[in-house]
Amino acid sequence: MRAAKLESLASMAEMELRRLRHDPFEILTRAVQPILWVAVFGSVMARIRAFPSVGDYVTFITPGVVLQSSTFISLAYGIALIFERESGILKKLLTSPIPRSYIVVGRALAGGVRASTQYVIVLASAAVVGARISSDPLNLVAGYLILVMACMGFTSLSILIASLLKTRERFMGIIGAITMPLFFASNALYPIEVMPDVIKYISLANPLTYTVSALRKLLVSNSYDVLQEILVLACFTIISLGVAVKNLKKIIE
Amino acid sequence: MRDLVKVYGREVRALDGVSLDVEEGAVHALLGPNGAGKTTLIRVITTQLKPSSGFARVFGYDVIKESSAVRELIGYVPQEMSLWSDLSGYENMLIYSKIYGVPRGVRSKKIEELLDFMGLSDASRRLVRTYSGGMIRRLEIAIALMRNPKLLILDEPTIGLDPGARSLVWDKISEFRRENGVTVFFATHYMDEADKYANYVTLLNQGKVVTHGTPSELKRLVEGNRVVIVFKGRVDGSKLSEIISGIHGVTISSFNDEYLDLVVSDIPTKLPAILEKIFSSGYSVSEVVIREATLDEVFIKLTGRRITEESGRVKEVVSVRKMIRRGG
Repeated sequence: MRAAKLESLASMAEMELRRLRHDPFEILTRAVQPILWVAVFGSVMARIRAFPSVGDYVTFITPGVVLQSSTFISLAYGIALIFERESGILKKLLTSPIPRSYIVVGRALAGGVRASTQYVIVLASAAVVGARISSDPLNLVAGYLILVMACMGFTSLSILIASLLKTRERFMGIIGAITMPLFFASNALYPIEVMPDVIKYISLANPLTYTVSALRKLLVSNSYDVLQEILVLACFTIISLGVAVKNLKKIIE
Repeated sequence: MRDLVKVYGREVRALDGVSLDVEEGAVHALLGPNGAGKTTLIRVITTQLKPSSGFARVFGYDVIKESSAVRELIGYVPQEMSLWSDLSGYENMLIYSKIYGVPRGVRSKKIEELLDFMGLSDASRRLVRTYSGGMIRRLEIAIALMRNPKLLILDEPTIGLDPGARSLVWDKISEFRRENGVTVFFATHYMDEADKYANYVTLLNQGKVVTHGTPSELKRLVEGNRVVIVFKGRVDGSKLSEIISGIHGVTISSFNDEYLDLVVSDIPTKLPAILEKIFSSGYSVSEVVIREATLDEVFIKLTGRRITEESGRVKEVVSVRKMIRRGG
């Protein structure tokens, strides 16, 4: 019984991967923007040495670009639920015997897995333009798992927004309004020390900051001192999942 | 286990005090024009919406307090397409079977069986995006049947389909019912569909039950099926009508020495008996005019409205097409 339940969660991620397999073009188009961030923005900024404290700039921003790309995908994932609300899929899921929490957790996992495809793409393209990323498989896997967890949190936020706003136009409006600030008010592109105080505090409340920080420690400085980040992100993900579960029903009302 | 699905809903405007029972094992149609409250009622029964007041029970389980028990028992096909159009038919069944928790051991056998039953085996590897409307509906019904539901709930199962695809969908539902004895509750605005496939029909209008009964009971409300027999030459009308009114299920509505105007419960079985009586009395018939009653007439008589209004229909077909193009 327990295995069957886990399977019903995993099947939603499987659905997402099967969709990607039928249409791999999306992975390619999604790769263009992060590659530009690393190859163009990173290389140019590296030349002017704006942040001497961070070492090689391309290496520094690589984890940030992984997050930029994957949080965008996670935060946009809710649109899938809006489509499914307009079609009958959500109605069918909500009338099936699985608990509603499984729909949110399953879809958050699906969104997390889908977003995490960017991990491989960005790291590989950063390595090509000279970023020095850890090649220790343990670090790489740990980084991947942390990223999936964080993206589950961002996907749940997106599901929550979709449940509350219900229409594509409103959803896209809000998502557009929060993704860029989330990215810029974080340590993705520059170290927290250089920020003005207000932005510093905002960035400390930003889950993206903790994910970037964990990946940077694992992949750039080969450090395992990531417990604090993992705890913060676990809280973020669990709270977002909980709130999204509570509000899911609103999407079909 | 109760044999009933009892519904008493009361939603502002959408459902205005609806009470009805569905007998176990029956095919029960909910017939009414667009906006009658059919979908709202179905969404209450399927635990998607809470009624503002009143209650509904499915096999004894309350749809509000015991909603998860209700969800265990029902198979549901919403009016809108409920498939992922960028996956194949097989993959849709596979994902839903896992979500529904169909045990691993029987899963692939069950999927193959149902695909075969619905005539979709050959198309099972194709993306659903390439399916016709009828194929989509059959696949959706297959998915709903995967869990062996006790109650199959269909919201406008054949909306936007051409007549051939409609009858194929119904053939499959009927065949499955004969073999597995599932109770079917469906909403439709096609009166011929309710007439042909349902044992029992509830007419719904503006959130209220107009009337209910078997299709022939309802058609009796509009004097039932009419048969007019025109004779060759003159006849003794009063004598003939006496003979014919002896046949069970036949009543005379008017006669003279040239024709008989009859109300007949079941034309295919009664008409031969009527003609036999006429011939054995030595009369010959020049013309038989048959006019079968429709549920639409019943509806017009009781509400003054038609069930199918053309403008609504066109809009629907367009929106269904759009939906399918857009995909899941």
